[in-house]
Amino acid sequence: MRRLFALLCVSCCLCARLLVSRQVSADDVAERAKKLHFSSIVLDTHDDTTQRFFSKDYDIGKRNPDGHVDIPRMREGGMNAIFFSIWIDGRTMGPPAVQKALDQIDAVHENVRTHSKDLVFCRTAEEVRSAHAQGKIAALIGVEGGHMIGDDVRVLRMFGDLGVRYMTLSHFYNDEWADSSTDKPVHNGLTDFGKDIVREMNRQGIMVDISHVSDKTFYDALEVSKAPLIASHSSCRALCNHVRDMSDDMIKALAAKGGVIQINYEKSFIDQPYKDAREKQSGGVVANFDQLKKACGDDQECFGRKMAAEEKQATAEGKLPHVSWERIVDHIDHVVKLAGPDHVGLGSDFDGASMPDGMEDCSNLPKITEALMRKGYIDDDIRKILGGNTLRVMEQTEKISRELQGQ
Amino acid sequence: MLRTLLTAGICVSAGAFLAVAVTAVDISERAKKLHFSSIVVDTHDDTTQRFLGGKFDLGPRSGTGSIDIPRMREGNLSAIFFSIWMPSKITGPEAVDRALLQIDAVREQVRKHPSDLMLATTAAEVREAHKQGKIAALMGVEGGHMINSSLPVLRTYAALGVRYMTLTHSGNDEWADSSTDKPAHNGLTDFGKDVVREMNRLGVMVDISHVSDKTFYDALEVSKAPLLASHSSCRAICDAPRNMTDQMIKDLAAKGGVIHINYHVGFLSQEFRKAEKADPALNKAIAEEVRNRCGDNEGCQLIEGDRLTREYVEKGQLPKVDFAKIIEHIDHAVKVAGVDHVGLGSDFDGANMPYGMEDATKLPSITEALLEKGYPEGDVKKILGENTLRLMADAERVGRELNATPQK
Repeated sequence: MRRLFALLCVSCCLCARLLVSRQVSADDVAERAKKLHFSSIVLDTHDDTTQRFFSKDYDIGKRNPDGHVDIPRMREGGMNAIFFSIWIDGRTMGPPAVQKALDQIDAVHENVRTHSKDLVFCRTAEEVRSAHAQGKIAALIGVEGGHMIGDDVRVLRMFGDLGVRYMTLSHFYNDEWADSSTDKPVHNGLTDFGKDIVREMNRQGIMVDISHVSDKTFYDALEVSKAPLIASHSSCRALCNHVRDMSDDMIKALAAKGGVIQINYEKSFIDQPYKDAREKQSGGVVANFDQLKKACGDDQECFGRKMAAEEKQATAEGKLPHVSWERIVDHIDHVVKLAGPDHVGLGSDFDGASMPDGMEDCSNLPKITEALMRKGYIDDDIRKILGGNTLRVMEQTEKISRELQGQ
Repeated sequence: MLRTLLTAGICVSAGAFLAVAVTAVDISERAKKLHFSSIVVDTHDDTTQRFLGGKFDLGPRSGTGSIDIPRMREGNLSAIFFSIWMPSKITGPEAVDRALLQIDAVREQVRKHPSDLMLATTAAEVREAHKQGKIAALMGVEGGHMINSSLPVLRTYAALGVRYMTLTHSGNDEWADSSTDKPAHNGLTDFGKDVVREMNRLGVMVDISHVSDKTFYDALEVSKAPLLASHSSCRAICDAPRNMTDQMIKDLAAKGGVIHINYHVGFLSQEFRKAEKADPALNKAIAEEVRNRCGDNEGCQLIEGDRLTREYVEKGQLPKVDFAKIIEHIDHAVKVAGVDHVGLGSDFDGANMPYGMEDATKLPSITEALLEKGYPEGDVKKILGENTLRLMADAERVGRELNATPQK
């Protein structure tokens, strides 16, 4: 009891100090936030920029008038570690899926090679820290969907050898061994083979990503995995009731095993009124995706471009409400309140989703740091959210992999 | 008649048995010392196929085939290129998928035997493995059909550790003619030339075994790095299109390349080749029997093909070829192109081995035979592996130079 009282006093004092400092100089926060942001490792776990590498009009080295990510804007936004997503539509399976995934992995490596002054390929947390120390942007790879391994654990190992550091167990559709949150369940979560996949990911040091998967798949993966899980790009169902988001119970269970949820900035996942309106207007994200598939065929870069254009038009016509970037901060704050500051990170979904107003591209990222600071977050916690938490999961995954390989 | 044959068979078996004892233990002290202090590199082994069934493992001594860790140790085979191979008729994404599974199988064997094997992708890594008393495991892709006409796939193989690619296998691929198919591209197509250029940049050696003579000359012209023939012998001794003419060997050598002698009896011995050609029914019978024993299991087919051919030799229906033929080819290539341009590319576990070269334990016989011929020790070391290591280092240097072009 006495202890509680003492704690209360300390926190009162802290609050008072924060209040005082704010009153002393409002602009001081902006300055401090800037300093903090640009000295931190800002790690984004999910970017669909990879698709753009296949377009002749896109050069990651130049400022592009569209899309969300390129080197100049990453520099401007202090985004210095990025997971390039390897993604193909979930209806493509077997050897063709494997080869398309390889083409994308190669495209990431080639873009790193041809922009080696700015980018450096990283496989470990230590390499990310070293890239940051050299003033370079760390490029990492995640595979978004288990359908790309051709139903074969050996292909998964090859992906690991090529530098893939997480795999999302499914995309919008179920794959051969895991149920998706946006498809009819057929496996009751993970099949036995799906569990073997998770074990092999542990052995290879590939993080297990539970974004996109069904709730049952999530709980199965949580039980099987020896390493903490990530949700590379998911938000909170308590604030926006979308199946792609995580319930409070799921977030707590994820955190209890050391995992991290990286908040997705997609408007349909962070804002309830927007989600409702979008569903009314186009049937929601998945239905919308199916329509785009019809329109774009195999041109994957077309997906993002068309989606952005259609969304922009619907918003201009007033069919969809505006959503402020501050909703991202609400979701971060919700997770922190629920599970503490060690279990939340950033998973924008840049170049693959509709961004809220004020987060039009990655150059806007410093706003998040400033908003968290204004909310009273201490510097250490902000650094964790910006990237430290994800690096911690990477380190733990690496450690478990070493143990499992008997090294 | 039958009796004579049987007696001959028994004598041969006894001789072979004796040879085991002699080569494995009783070579001269000097040959032993030289052989076991050298880095012995073999640029072509089809053992990879045996991994795929899931039953074969490199760890224990196997009663079949030519390669496993104990026998590599016994013969001091210190660096081995595991061949990634499938028939030319398998193409497209399926070929890519299957190649990946084979690359994985090699890497898994390395992971499984960390105290014996070490994955190597450079000459320096091969030397490092040797220093640590480990066998260097390397990979070569045997046939351009496995890249599905995609430079990204080629680069992926390189990233996974592949250090040479044979431009074709027995059939033409989409961009290069094979020596054992009807020419369709007049050598290398423009894309084929791009493949060679990209291989140069990646430090992946260009292998011209299996390709048509025109493809060889096209590759020789385009490549900035020296070429290798990973498993080809001399046409002057045995007139197989898979072998190289003296002129080709000279031209290869003039640009720093290395021909690695293939031990396959059909490529070593004109007599054997003639006998095979003279009796197509025999070949057909062997092929049929192999299919009966193995079905579609390609690893089994290769091993059983060797075993069955032996049976026909024992029956006197095919001529017996001695391992001395390997020495004859090495010596011929040295006379044609100089001692810096010849190496070893056995084709173990993928071809029919001559008597006295049944498996990797017999390799010291080569050292012994070359010394007996009067080769200086330094030259023997070159043939055993140093020439190949020089070639690798050259390919790496060219790769570095090509990558040193200005970056964005």
